[in-house]
Amino acid sequence: MFFAHDRDQEEFRTSLRRFLADKSPLGEVRRASGTGAGYDPGLWRQMSQQLGLPGLHLPEEHGGSGTGLLEPAIVLEETGRALTSSPYAAGLLASLAVQRFGSADAQAELLPGIASGELVVTLATTELGSPVGLRGLQTTATSRGDSVALSGRKVLVEHGHTADVLLVSATGPDAGPTGARLYVVRGDAPGLVRTRSEALDLTRPVAQVDLDATPADALGEAGDLSPLVDLWCALLASGMVGGIGACLDMTVAYAKDRYQFNRPIGSFQAVKHRCAEMLVALDGARAAAQYAVFAADQGSPELATVAPLAKAEAAEAYTFAAGWTVQLLGGIGFTWEQDAHLYLRRAWADSGLLGGPAAQRARLADALGI
Amino acid sequence: MPVYAPRMDVDYPPQAQEFRARVKAFLGEHLPPGWTGMGGVPMGEREQFRRQWRRTLGEHSMLAVSWPTQYGGAGLTLLEQVVLAEEFALAGAPQGSENDSFGIGMLGNTLIHLGTEEQKAHYLPRILSGEQRWCQGYSEPEAGSDLAGVRTSAVLDGDEWVINGQKTWTSAGHLADHIFLLARTDPDAPKHRGITFLLVPMDQPGVEVRPIRNLAGYSLFNEVFLTDARTAAHEVVGEVHDGWRVAMALLGFERGVTATTDAIRFRAELDRLFALARERGLTSDARIRDRLAWCHSRVEVMRFRGLQALTRSLAGARPGPESAISKIIWSEYAQAYTELAMEILGPEALVPTGQATGGLLQMPEAGTENSPLSWVETFMSARAGTIYAGSSQIQRNIIGEVLLGLPKEPRLDAGPFRELAQSRG
Repeated sequence: MFFAHDRDQEEFRTSLRRFLADKSPLGEVRRASGTGAGYDPGLWRQMSQQLGLPGLHLPEEHGGSGTGLLEPAIVLEETGRALTSSPYAAGLLASLAVQRFGSADAQAELLPGIASGELVVTLATTELGSPVGLRGLQTTATSRGDSVALSGRKVLVEHGHTADVLLVSATGPDAGPTGARLYVVRGDAPGLVRTRSEALDLTRPVAQVDLDATPADALGEAGDLSPLVDLWCALLASGMVGGIGACLDMTVAYAKDRYQFNRPIGSFQAVKHRCAEMLVALDGARAAAQYAVFAADQGSPELATVAPLAKAEAAEAYTFAAGWTVQLLGGIGFTWEQDAHLYLRRAWADSGLLGGPAAQRARLADALGI
Repeated sequence: MPVYAPRMDVDYPPQAQEFRARVKAFLGEHLPPGWTGMGGVPMGEREQFRRQWRRTLGEHSMLAVSWPTQYGGAGLTLLEQVVLAEEFALAGAPQGSENDSFGIGMLGNTLIHLGTEEQKAHYLPRILSGEQRWCQGYSEPEAGSDLAGVRTSAVLDGDEWVINGQKTWTSAGHLADHIFLLARTDPDAPKHRGITFLLVPMDQPGVEVRPIRNLAGYSLFNEVFLTDARTAAHEVVGEVHDGWRVAMALLGFERGVTATTDAIRFRAELDRLFALARERGLTSDARIRDRLAWCHSRVEVMRFRGLQALTRSLAGARPGPESAISKIIWSEYAQAYTELAMEILGPEALVPTGQATGGLLQMPEAGTENSPLSWVETFMSARAGTIYAGSSQIQRNIIGEVLLGLPKEPRLDAGPFRELAQSRG
């Protein structure tokens, strides 16, 4: 019975937080996000080659460290706190999809590159008409002899405009029980048009991906994609927990520092109690995210309920915290220069990705058989 | 990059699971056949059942589980206490009488840590046998959230304290024959420093207990009027004038044993709520469905936080200010889920029928019929949770000031208590 991070994991968190504070302060995040790629390849090289982050969870035979999912969740928390722009989350999710659905060949082909950080792979599963990405997909797969051709449009594809490989979901005769299957598409494939989107979230580059009879290979066998969505939800929740912590720290620091009426404003209950509510929200979201990641790490069937609930809890906590951060910082919180809006943007982007709290609770109600 | 082996594990160790099997067996053997919880016992028979059950618990060392064996307790490890509390919660079986949380849980553990040998020898066996039934005399009409503002006075007269004042919100006071209370013994000291923790018998002319009817219609707490009430000079726990520290220490003897039981008990309530919605064909209503899923989420968050708290307790940490977060989460949830029940009931809530609860502090007894009246009473009673044991406003002050380090408000209550008491009213 031990439901906490162990000392090694806490030390890992501390050193990673120090690294990101040093290499990826918010000014640097803004600069990197504004480049064409939307991230700093130099920083990504350090994250992958120096720290070995992208391969943490991958097996040693593919160049990884074999940690399980708890450590990647810590990376997501810390990069979510720092708003670090990097293809880490995209690669993590893609690698989990490859591990789950990919053949041995596909794994051998893709995982070592993901582990070393040299190959940027991302999931392209979301469509405007299918935010969760499980039902009602419009992207189709058509057999062309040995190969398959994909046509359709994907949105909110993280690093989709720069990724070397995209894992695209599509429907078709061989799409499997939920009507969707993953296909491997090369970044330089013909009929592929990728455009970085002008996104609400300034610090996480996303792209629209158009496919027009684009050649693709099936990623192993067809299978139910919902466990992948659940993994994604659990990991998104971890990232949100980091962001909530940043909002709370920013607000509390300001409330201690800012004087009005000859008192720090944090001494007023109107401010203090809102900060307290942010901590209550953070605490609940953290517990839910931690459990969801634990269930994911264990491969537990509980994931089907705890992942959507963690996503919903974290989303409501994050949008609450980010909204109140702007409010409690007052006029300065409403400026472009102040960083609060970066978190407000990320909060709503994370909340909306894969469907907001209502959509998650609908999935939860289904899973519970309510 | 070193390899980090994940250590997370939510399974209890085999010894704890063996103990769990023993508790389950005990409950299976001693609870009446067809037991569904206290709510299934007819109202008129509950008092007798409680007395009998308490005797059974005593005979099997299932009472005073937190006390060391030398004082007649069960001397269970922390994890064993947790497992026992979980199994009793799952079975809907009481762990003692209404007065035991005060006598065994609060006073008993306080005496074990801070009492004199004479006090331990005198009181502990009597608390355990049920000969003495205790209540807690803290709150007063002028000292609610500001507990250190107690005005009840105690003055030494020879070898006796003479006590005058009024206590209020005294839970189970009508069932008690002894009260531990905070009294002002040095009005010239600052308010936290002139308080003494006294043990007072209630069967004397100077003590009058008057029930207070709560907004749900039940009398679970009381006013206690003290008029020249007396107790012996040595009936002090800790030092004279040092009662505030004793009262704070008392809170610290809670070892986090109930970290995991709130989730169990609210889960049982949630099953009732799901059934209520299902019986009325409302689980397909998108809004009701969303809120039911939300309720499930909150109860799960309580379960996860319980596992975190238990992990900390097993590592030796005492529950600290973070328990303010738990208090806010469960008490606000209690209002939310009962409000959903009201909406599910619709007009049925307006002229509620069926089995009554008999009154409740946190939630109705397990096994209570899923009646509209039980839900209305639970809804009305749920208003109390955000007020008692530190209101939500006080909890937010604690979270803000202790956990987040935000500055306190400028204090207006320094100086001798006598002047403070005169400065208003």
